[in-house]
Amino acid sequence: MSVITKIINWSRLKSPWVLHFNTGACNACDIEIIAALTPRYDLERFGVVLKATPRHADILLCSGPVTKQIECRLLRIYEQMSEPKFVVAVGTCASSGGVFNGCYNVCGGIDTVLPVSAYIPGCPASPKAIIDGVVKLLQSLEEEPKSVNGEKK
Amino acid sequence: MHDSGDVKIPIGPQHPALKEPESFLISLRGEKITASSVRLGYNHRGIEKACEARTYTQDIYLIERVCGICSHSHSTCFVQAVEEIAGLDIPARAKYLRTLIAELERIHSHLLWLGVAGHEIGFDTLLMYTWRDREVVMDILAALTGNRVNYGINTIGGVRRDINAKQKEEVLKAMDILETQTKYYIDLAQNETTLLKRLQGVGVLSHDDAQRLGAVGPTGRASGIDRDTRKDDPYAAYGELDFKVISVNNNDVYGRTLVRLGELMESFNLVRQVIRKLPEGAISVKAPRKIPAGQAVSRYEAPRGEDLHFVRSNGTDKPDRVKVRAPTLANIQSVSKMLEDRYLADMPIVVAAIDPCFSCTDRMVALRDTQNRKKNTVPWETIRLKGIKWYKDKGVDFASLNKKLSASF
Amino acid sequence: MNEEAIKQELINKFPYLQEAITIKRKGRIFAQVPADKFDAVFAYAVKEMRFAALSAITGLDRGDGVFEVIYHLNQEGRILLNLCVGLEKDKLAVNTVTAYCPSADIYERELEDLLGIKVNGLAAGYRYPLTDDWPQGEYPLRKDWKGNLASKEVPDA
Repeated sequence: MSVITKIINWSRLKSPWVLHFNTGACNACDIEIIAALTPRYDLERFGVVLKATPRHADILLCSGPVTKQIECRLLRIYEQMSEPKFVVAVGTCASSGGVFNGCYNVCGGIDTVLPVSAYIPGCPASPKAIIDGVVKLLQSLEEEPKSVNGEKK
Repeated sequence: MHDSGDVKIPIGPQHPALKEPESFLISLRGEKITASSVRLGYNHRGIEKACEARTYTQDIYLIERVCGICSHSHSTCFVQAVEEIAGLDIPARAKYLRTLIAELERIHSHLLWLGVAGHEIGFDTLLMYTWRDREVVMDILAALTGNRVNYGINTIGGVRRDINAKQKEEVLKAMDILETQTKYYIDLAQNETTLLKRLQGVGVLSHDDAQRLGAVGPTGRASGIDRDTRKDDPYAAYGELDFKVISVNNNDVYGRTLVRLGELMESFNLVRQVIRKLPEGAISVKAPRKIPAGQAVSRYEAPRGEDLHFVRSNGTDKPDRVKVRAPTLANIQSVSKMLEDRYLADMPIVVAAIDPCFSCTDRMVALRDTQNRKKNTVPWETIRLKGIKWYKDKGVDFASLNKKLSASF
Repeated sequence: MNEEAIKQELINKFPYLQEAITIKRKGRIFAQVPADKFDAVFAYAVKEMRFAALSAITGLDRGDGVFEVIYHLNQEGRILLNLCVGLEKDKLAVNTVTAYCPSADIYERELEDLLGIKVNGLAAGYRYPLTDDWPQGEYPLRKDWKGNLASKEVPDA
């Protein structure tokens, strides 16, 4: 691993920039994601910063079973993110479709549309679980930094 | 609606502009909004159809997830309809427990709203403090029901969990803490000029317009429509409890803020009453698996307003039709009226003031400048930041208020 | 005005509703209205009887060739008057009620999208709640619709 790559990975680990996107969820997971940023849980002490634009984000934090209206928008957002990028599916719906699996307007979990690096189960995923999931993702990056399609950097 | 001289709105299944799902279409003349419309459906999951393929008990859990903020509202509204069709007389203790969770949900929802409203206008300290206070309620709900959200407390025939003496005490303690905090927020809302400047005269909806457009909940009550399903069509234990319907005549976002703050205070009292008057007895009755043929309309006062469920049964263990009309659908139709002739900078707080229960983050806004015919699609966040800057340039800045709040807590 | 008085007033004005009105319980009145008389009854209920608030419109497929549309009107929040109109499958159309209740707009769009009930006079505009590229003729809430959408092309992102 070159020095530059090591530095980039270190900064990514120390301060991952996160984009939150709701693909048609009931809002419970989204509220818990925002709650993870409030004083009780304080995700920001891990250096996690919520960004508004895909171009600055390393991690796409997705909730919701992908509804058909949202599908192409989700793909677009993902394409606008620069490599390496990671998708985290927050909540049972994002992981597998949850209670909405099989509904006519729903694609299923996020992984029916995008490659997912980490799944955080829960209905909704509690802030503690979200923090745990994000930290686990960061730790796995530390061990073997890979880009999303599995190639070692 | 949109003046045909100003704007061409594309309609139709095949259109290049519609590849990017825009939630709001705004026509602008300079900084002023001349017309607006909302596109919905991003959260359409097909729940009503799915209900027909699941049993009534399974449907409780599905219906709960219509909305993650007022999940108990939807679940209770649904079981009430089913219980009415089945002719079940649920025990008084169950009614009181449902009411307890209902009011705790209202408290968490209104505190959540306060924080979100603060965020939309640039008053982020309010977001942090109200959500920190909200955690007090979340802890109570988790202790009583097993989950912070999506409580799963209802069953056809009653509730699934009981409350013990120790939990009752903790609930009462929590109410005392939150009441002190809320009194501070009320003081803030009534006396801080920065806040008043951002909220007063914004998002105006006259009494007549509110009635015509069917506004419900705090949105309607801020325009003098003193309808509250808890009083008009009592359900659960509300018929035996003492509370006021909070309604003001401000007709603006400030009014909506006052109504919600007032409702918080009423909720604290309702919770105390429920704990004090909680009757002894069973928490549920046995319900049949197959619900006899019939139909019922159930109504509930969710934090956002009147929630209506229609259920029709056909004698099997699966419903024939479940219709859910969530309160936001009734209120969204007023938004265009509220935005009329207002500045773009006000858009975020006006929309936030109806406390919309749809996807919070993906909203894209399409701006059509009617003067130079240019179209621009921007994310919600951009409008929010623009609004904060616009007001800052006019001297309405929350930096000092943020500091002051940090000092006093 | 209580439920009995409301029922009586409707029967006095529209004698054909004699057997069609049921008071299910306190605050709930159901009336089955013939399709060709619906507009008159609706207008009367809203304008003369002060059932001025429309809470919702439910459309449903009974499964036996008849569709129903139920208008849930309320009088100052207290009493719900549910006007049900039955429609034959080959005559699935109602007239818009937005002239009396502007809030009906979005509920009527839902009827068109999910059940294929044509609402005459509804202003052109967006559809709700389905996607713009939803295939024609597919109405999810119909009993015979089993979710078999024609193969969907993935849109160019």
